Amino acid sequence: MLPRRYFETKDHLGADMTAPVIETERMILRKPMATDEPVFAKFLMSDRAQFVGGPATRGRAWRAFAHLVGQWEMRGYGVLTMLERGTRAVIGSCGYFHPAELTEPEISWSIWDIDFEGRGLATEAALACRSHAYAKLGWRTVTSNIDVDNARSIALAERLGCHIEKTYVEQTPEGTFDVHLFRHPGPERTA
Amino acid sequence: MSEMVLETERLIMRRPAPRDFAQFEPFLMSERSRGVGGPRTKAQAWRVMCAELGHWTMLGFGMWAVTRKSDDTALGLVGPWTPADWPETEIGWMIWNAKDEGTGIAAEAARAAIDHAWRVLAWDTIVSYVSFDNPRSAALARKLGAVLDPDAPQPHPETPCHVFRHPRPEVGS
Repeated sequence: MLPRRYFETKDHLGADMTAPVIETERMILRKPMATDEPVFAKFLMSDRAQFVGGPATRGRAWRAFAHLVGQWEMRGYGVLTMLERGTRAVIGSCGYFHPAELTEPEISWSIWDIDFEGRGLATEAALACRSHAYAKLGWRTVTSNIDVDNARSIALAERLGCHIEKTYVEQTPEGTFDVHLFRHPGPERTA
Repeated sequence: MSEMVLETERLIMRRPAPRDFAQFEPFLMSERSRGVGGPRTKAQAWRVMCAELGHWTMLGFGMWAVTRKSDDTALGLVGPWTPADWPETEIGWMIWNAKDEGTGIAAEAARAAIDHAWRVLAWDTIVSYVSFDNPRSAALARKLGAVLDPDAPQPHPETPCHVFRHPRPEVGS
């Protein structure tokens, strides 16, 4: 029961307007914009991006961001940029990541700006995105694929009530990763 | 909005759409794409398609899907490609199927794209990056009037390519 825009979209402009704005206590989440890209690139070009294919070159970072933007059109859903309420500072991304090699979409999260780490913002965003997936997108299940060495993200998944469904080797254009596939509690258990 | 569509004698050039991936993906995964960084895996091809769409959303312009007036099926991509690491503004081209080669559609589309880049995007310069092992593409660049610029900065210095520079039209022409 996933919305599938891929191959079905007649009007690319329609897809863009489907992007939601999700508000949480401390953040506003909206579709990534070109002006967010430098913050993303600084993250992806750093060692902090080691679990998501970094550090990347400047060119690969730009293409990775453009790919996140373009996924919205291909799928009708995608990741959102997390903005701090008030300042509108770019924090990171959270949302629905679904490249070709994943058989189902995942909820992903990344804190791009290190100054926003350790405040529970990724947890807050992931909870909001999961609720939105169940309540507004009609999804019945959600996953997150996390590198086995990414202790911070694994701890976050556990706080979200996820359990490890399997551990496998993920082949992506960004590299080969040993990952846990976390399954989130379903809509009936998070209502 | 009108800037999203160009019309030439035989062609409509429009913003790419997800449905074009049905034609683009097999090209990206085939030997034919060797001159533009291929062949790619399925996962890489997906990212390339998404990035082409994202380029349009981020910048308001990008490579056009080239179609014949009689048929909306995309035959290739031609037009601006300006990722953050590119030293200069590029007009690129790829024709996806061998059956459409030699028909002059790439040149027809590239001329329209170059004209658009000068007049509407108001670019200061236009280059085309062509792989050393892509003689067809180099021939097209020359046909368009572009000349090799051996002193131009390279997009990937570790793997150099031909940099063709397109002549700026005379003022008033």
